[in-house]
Amino acid sequence: MSTSLSIRAVDKIYHPRGRSAVHAVKALSMDVGRGEIVALLGSSGCGKTSTLRMIAGFEEVSAGSIALADRRVESLAPAARNVAMAFEGYSLYPPLTVRENIAFALKRGRLSASDVARRVQQMAALVEIESILDRYPSSISGGQQQRASLARALVRDADLYVLDEPMGQLEPQLRAVLRGRLKRLLKDRAMTSIFVTHDQTEANALADRIAVMEGGVLQQFANQHDLKERPANLYVATFIGEPPMNVFDAAVIRTGDRTMFELDRGPSFVFDDNELGPEVRQAIGNRRRTVIGVRPHRVVLGGGCGETACVVSNQWLGDQSHVAMLVAEKLMVAVSHVRVSATIGESVPYGIRAQDLHVFDPETTLALAHGVRAA
Amino acid sequence: MAQIEVRNLCKSFRDDAVLKGLSLSVDKGEIVALFGPSGTGKTVLLRLLAGIYAPDDGTIGLRGRDASGSPPEKRGIGMAFQNFALFPHMTARDNIASALTARKMDAAKIQRKVGAVARLLKIDHVLGHSPRELSNGQKQRTALARALVGEPDILLLDDPLRNVDAKLRYEMRLELPTLLKRAGSTVLYVTQDFKEAMALGDRIAVLLDGAIAQCDTPARIYAEPVCIGVARLFGDPTLNLVEVQPQLVDDVPEVRVGGAAIRLPASYAAAVGGNFTLGLRPESLHLVDGHAPGTIAVDLVAVTPLNEKSVLLFTMDGGNELLASEAGDRGAPRRIGPSRLALDLDTVLLFDRDSGRRFIPAGKVGAKS
Repeated sequence: MSTSLSIRAVDKIYHPRGRSAVHAVKALSMDVGRGEIVALLGSSGCGKTSTLRMIAGFEEVSAGSIALADRRVESLAPAARNVAMAFEGYSLYPPLTVRENIAFALKRGRLSASDVARRVQQMAALVEIESILDRYPSSISGGQQQRASLARALVRDADLYVLDEPMGQLEPQLRAVLRGRLKRLLKDRAMTSIFVTHDQTEANALADRIAVMEGGVLQQFANQHDLKERPANLYVATFIGEPPMNVFDAAVIRTGDRTMFELDRGPSFVFDDNELGPEVRQAIGNRRRTVIGVRPHRVVLGGGCGETACVVSNQWLGDQSHVAMLVAEKLMVAVSHVRVSATIGESVPYGIRAQDLHVFDPETTLALAHGVRAA
Repeated sequence: MAQIEVRNLCKSFRDDAVLKGLSLSVDKGEIVALFGPSGTGKTVLLRLLAGIYAPDDGTIGLRGRDASGSPPEKRGIGMAFQNFALFPHMTARDNIASALTARKMDAAKIQRKVGAVARLLKIDHVLGHSPRELSNGQKQRTALARALVGEPDILLLDDPLRNVDAKLRYEMRLELPTLLKRAGSTVLYVTQDFKEAMALGDRIAVLLDGAIAQCDTPARIYAEPVCIGVARLFGDPTLNLVEVQPQLVDDVPEVRVGGAAIRLPASYAAAVGGNFTLGLRPESLHLVDGHAPGTIAVDLVAVTPLNEKSVLLFTMDGGNELLASEAGDRGAPRRIGPSRLALDLDTVLLFDRDSGRRFIPAGKVGAKS
């Protein structure tokens, strides 16, 4: 895939008056391929919105370069970058109707009036605002304004589509369908897109790859499978996934061809080297301490498992059970798509398989190794 | 005995009728999640219970006595709000203790109680901090501690996890029910998140159009919603709706979905000839191989992952869209293009198109509303 957007060593430092400087984005480098959909994901203040605004041209870079479709753009005005942006605050023109707002983006092109009308209609249908095309922004709901703003960005031909929390205000009933349609549109037309979200469900649903940011630093840039199966560090491991990964401090004890992870004030999990595989074995080396993790969906419940733990809570959400157990004085959560009948206070058998194990360095928090699932 | 007993409560603001004859009964020690879309009057109900608003009509009974006319301070109710409402000039400790100092309790006892509730909520290490030094999660737990420390027998919680980050919200969702049970309070818990309502509530009271549409256990609300409005509020993604007219074919009630004939159990015979909306939960639609009768010809348009599920968007004959969800890992990715869907008849919901009420198949007892 050829590169469409290339960000190199970009920094953003804000100098608020009377206060110390804020280093919002630190040495950010990333490439987005042509036709690729990328999400910038992180909690508030992680630097994702600053990054997006630098790409679109609404913030200057403090250092570094941004190239779009093989042109250096970091010094260009927003309008000269050929970027279409949907703003979180919608930014619709109040004196124009929704239809005129969407069509406005096409006015500078050489399209015939009928082509403009057709495109506006098509995009309005996609986001379900056909019935309000002749109303003014002030008379429609926040969710409708957001969809109008999205349509206005998507209707254009641009080198890059930049979307800031594109579905934040939409009702859940509409969101799942819109996500599917939006993804289909972006893929069919190979529209290179980058969008900001704090919602990992949205990032997972739409993006080919997700850039996880925290503290102004890109923590990991990977597809959702790798973020889940091979998180780069403890931050990513416990940020990605709903519910988050279970993690425990553990001492490592080697005996013969077996490795034992002894949880602090808790049980031990013993695996033989064949189960763990050479990658995990080598990464552990002679370490005495690690942090081990297992995703809630991978904790095995039921007979035949090695350990037992006391159930603290068992919640059925209509299509899945969330069972929390007390392990090493912390909660270990197991999720099952089959309803679990355990009651609070009951002791239930559970287990962790070597293939589902993640091992981290307690000092650096970096991942050392991940269990490998049999091919 | 009901600890909270609300009868025919009405409340309007100017011409806007928010509550229109709302009735609700909460038993002693029970946690009821008050759930509904934004703007339906959940907070208004809490304020009426607390005595901050006066009802236009109806009665409020607390602990078996009519409390409609009593002032807020006489109602003995603990409250926590979504915006925390902590005193900014006080430490977390003093904020929590403020619920007790008004009661002329001796200082050592107050400190003991504050310490105990703070340990329970894991904020004992930040008791000396002022609110601006606390994270949102810590502020939330401080506000909750203040509500709990006086051991109120009735506790009203107004979306207390709303402003807390996702990770902590999830942890609190697991721990809060146990914590509240230990405190022994009767709890009315407002939330806008159906998962939170299902996780926390012994029962869920669904507030729609100014009244409680259904108050029942989470499992029954999900499986046997009284009406289409309730059904649409639960599930992620939400249920699919298809307009149908059941016909009798070879003595079997049948509906047509995307050109396919779906044979319903005989217990649906009374629905024949009527206008209905079929509600299909995404998790009860399954992709199948082959062209078995009763399967729906669809086009798979997009696959969007959702947590550990995949959400599949299909179009049917006639352009209608359907969403299906698949749990767990699949080896190969789904192929975009023509496919066939089978549906799980046990979870099918049928709603009267005029009234929106759920059709109750013969031989089944309807959920109480």
